[in-house]
Amino acid sequence: MLKRAVKTFLSHSTSHRVKCAATNAATIDQSNNKWDLYAGVLVERLPVITKSLNKIEQEYLDHLKQLEFEQSSKSDFEMRDEKDKLIAQLSQKGKHDDVDTALQQTAQDLKDAWKDELHQFQLGPRTTEADHKNDVKSTNRKLEETLFLLVEQRLGEEKVMLLPQGKRVNGETMRQTAERVLKENCGDDIDVMFYGNAPCGFYKWKYPSAIRGETVGAKLFFYRASHKKGNVIEKETHFQWLDKVELEEKLPKEYAQSVSQFLL
Amino acid sequence: MSIIASAFSRLSLHQTFHRSFTTSSVVALSVTPILCGEPLKKKKKIDPAIIKQREDRKRKKLEKQIRRLEKNARQLKPIDEMEVPLSLIDEKDKRTRPLPKLTAEVVERRALLEKSWARYQLQEKLRDYKIIDRVQRAQQKALQELRFESKELYDQAIQIDPNLVPIHVDGPTATPAIDNYESPDGEYVNISKKWD
Repeated sequence: MLKRAVKTFLSHSTSHRVKCAATNAATIDQSNNKWDLYAGVLVERLPVITKSLNKIEQEYLDHLKQLEFEQSSKSDFEMRDEKDKLIAQLSQKGKHDDVDTALQQTAQDLKDAWKDELHQFQLGPRTTEADHKNDVKSTNRKLEETLFLLVEQRLGEEKVMLLPQGKRVNGETMRQTAERVLKENCGDDIDVMFYGNAPCGFYKWKYPSAIRGETVGAKLFFYRASHKKGNVIEKETHFQWLDKVELEEKLPKEYAQSVSQFLL
Repeated sequence: MSIIASAFSRLSLHQTFHRSFTTSSVVALSVTPILCGEPLKKKKKIDPAIIKQREDRKRKKLEKQIRRLEKNARQLKPIDEMEVPLSLIDEKDKRTRPLPKLTAEVVERRALLEKSWARYQLQEKLRDYKIIDRVQRAQQKALQELRFESKELYDQAIQIDPNLVPIHVDGPTATPAIDNYESPDGEYVNISKKWD
């Protein structure tokens, strides 16, 4: 198994090198052309709750719990419980008739009281209202998964759901562009944390020759950001919070391929 | 001449009278060393055996101290929590759980489960490595393209973002936080010991 893994790893790295060389050559060929620079923002809502365990994880967890139980020795509380039960048995037979012991709180009573207290406490539900309604606009859906923000973008005539994106204006760094673009697309309410100054992904497309001006196409640099609080202001745009599977279905094919390169 | 005079003057009872002449440096008279001079004390002779005995005793004393220190160094400061309470040792028989002996079938099933768990973990690990590899590659490519477009933008992109350190992230929890939950005031007893 390990051998195979190493092999796949090696083949990966060699193919990677070849690919890099290819892209180098490609970019040099087009060096005369001018490109528009765009910044896109991948806003992630990180998982709020832990992942549900799959079959083997659940089995192994049970196994560990069983081992833990077998290897442990009885606690003070268990000893007391056993003693109380013994006394109760004796007093039932009439051998051990003592008023004091009958009035005393037994370990079982304590256990029941604690269980009641636990049942009274309402834990937060793992599935939310947004899940039941399948409300894709809520950041409160699919708490187990990472959600990504899609916003409707106008590309020429048509409207497509994409990551929020926008063109860079002179004097801006790419990071500043990304921050501005997010504000323009989603309003001021949403609060995010950008992960550094470097882009995490890349996509480029050529404009159709009919509308091609000075520039041949656009190069889009993606920035990663995590959602902290707030949401998109609804009046301004059409938007959705989708998990990885939904996202890859929704996006245009080639675009989805580039984006999936840097999804975790 | 004057030296002899001054030497005799010590014998005289009338010191005040005698001190009428000067011994200051101008006259270049130097009288004191000779006046204070006295024969050397005779050095006591000690038996070399006794000296040896004394040195031995000193050395032994030092050695003893060193030994005591070394012995203490090996003795660690006791940690109360690490010590098994005596009650547990005494009641060991009572406290061990009466467990039925594991059947061969159960042992076999457990061994198989351990193995499949190890395989599963390996797969997960490899998957993680692949993801990290892929994400790094995507970023390298993006940076390369950016550098190709503009060196200046690239330089700005590789700057460290000081706002990210220190970073605070709240991890995923078993159940989501309850909105507007007011946690009750708990009671607690501080059991941490004070060391003087």
